[in-house]
Amino acid sequence: MSRTINITSSNTPSPAQQVNLRDCGPEGCELDWLSSQRHETEIDDVMAFTRYAMQQGWGDGLPLIPPTEGRVRAFLAQSNRYPDEVICKLPPTDADCTVEKIAINAVMAGAPAATLPLIIAALEGLADPNFELFGLNATTAPVVPLTLVNGPIRNQLDIPYQHGCLGGMPSLSIAAGRAIRLLIKNVAGQQVQVTCQTTFGSPGRLPGILFGEWEERSPWAPFAERRGVSGNAVSVYGTMGTQNIIDTTSQTGPEFLEMTGKSLAYPGANGFSPAMPFAEMMVAINPVWAEIIHRDIPHLEDVQELIWQHASIAADHLTTKHREQLEAQHRVINGRVYVAVEPKDVLVICCGGTGGLHATGFHSFGSCLTQTRAILPGPDQS
Amino acid sequence: MALGNVLDPTAIRADDITSPGPDAGPLTGKTIGFRLDEIWRAWDWIAEIWAAEFEKAGATVKFWRSHQGRTGAEGEKVAKALDEFLDSIDIAVVGLGNCGSCTGWTIRDALSAANKGLPTTAICTEVFKELGHQLAARGGRSGLRIHILPYPLNEKRRAEVEPVAFEHLQSVQHTMGVDTHPRKEALA
Repeated sequence: MSRTINITSSNTPSPAQQVNLRDCGPEGCELDWLSSQRHETEIDDVMAFTRYAMQQGWGDGLPLIPPTEGRVRAFLAQSNRYPDEVICKLPPTDADCTVEKIAINAVMAGAPAATLPLIIAALEGLADPNFELFGLNATTAPVVPLTLVNGPIRNQLDIPYQHGCLGGMPSLSIAAGRAIRLLIKNVAGQQVQVTCQTTFGSPGRLPGILFGEWEERSPWAPFAERRGVSGNAVSVYGTMGTQNIIDTTSQTGPEFLEMTGKSLAYPGANGFSPAMPFAEMMVAINPVWAEIIHRDIPHLEDVQELIWQHASIAADHLTTKHREQLEAQHRVINGRVYVAVEPKDVLVICCGGTGGLHATGFHSFGSCLTQTRAILPGPDQS
Repeated sequence: MALGNVLDPTAIRADDITSPGPDAGPLTGKTIGFRLDEIWRAWDWIAEIWAAEFEKAGATVKFWRSHQGRTGAEGEKVAKALDEFLDSIDIAVVGLGNCGSCTGWTIRDALSAANKGLPTTAICTEVFKELGHQLAARGGRSGLRIHILPYPLNEKRRAEVEPVAFEHLQSVQHTMGVDTHPRKEALA
């Protein structure tokens, strides 16, 4: 007997597709649906298991929850995803990233089971060839994928998007970011000094950077919605880290944007590197500034344009060799070089606390392109 | 303290080609394709010297320059151009793995060449040797030929780089599987 269930494609939220699955699902079958190799080890002592996991090369240095069969089954029981469903292949290993592997790593990271759809959506974005995870995982750069969450799920999962959203605001769901990092290590195969040549790395490589947009205070449409995905969604973006921009002086929208744009422009930023022909530039604006900016500059396209204009460097400010390489790539326009090829590649989001005074720049990696995916419930869970 | 089973969190790729692929053989009459990039001028200088020497041995040489913009519409253009380039050559020399991501793309492009059945050699610098081999293995071809140049390289002046090209001329041909003493009947 085969059963037919409704499953919605993760890449195209609608319409639902009819997909034939196998005879029995995890809830109605005595088959062993978990196919991963078993390892006998200490399971009651977290630190003993963590030491074991580090010896196996599974860990990140922080304590890990032993992924016993019971814990993994309990995690999966809150979803009716099939454990052997292949979500994607992640480079460089290009091995199958199954729901089972996701669950095992999420359990180890301490991620709540309710975060599974979010983790899956993020992985689907990371696996898109336009995200360039292949280069991102190997590079000497400190890049780490940032996961931005939109939609009501931010509140359901307690994803930080106000004060301390980039770090410091406690939330159990932050462990979903760590789960994504463990999956990049254990399934994609990113291993420092083996498949990854990062020179310095970055703090974000441990727990990931997972946060939400403060949609309720943003004067702009939710970031994912601007990219064609309404409701619950994640956007993944490869960032070199967070760059703080302090401004205690500006009073108007144009002033805040000038200060922000000029602060983003320095020769060693990704967007000015001759090593890649184009780049994106994400900027997080706090809700206080966002309100003022929107008051003075109603259209987001104009906001992007102003940041872009100011996020530029006079070509003669660059070293000779640097300038010559950029000139050869036709990236010097009227004597200036810009952090992105076009204003549309300046990605503006709204989040952070009501203390204002700061913006955050997220310089991108290479020509890695942001990917947005809907966060969808599992089959039969809609 | 209690023992129990935990589930393995890792995933591995099952397939692997351990063979280095076909030898380049005699160079006479062959078209050798050099894959260059937009970052490493030292690789340009070395490729120019090797190309001149291969031409002396009777080969024709082509160059194709990639860049790191491998995403979006630009990425599709680059992929198509690479495919056309690989279809136009008999032997591929792919470089330069001299950073993390560029080693990644060097190996990925080399795998594309090898998967077309071309005698293929990737070129990496010493620091990125292990990365190159690891990525080749994860790409399903642990046997991929990788020739190693010294590091640092791109930080040197041309006058310092040129001797490196000549010093490695024989060894790179060995890595490529070049038959430097073809039998007379083979040439006939």
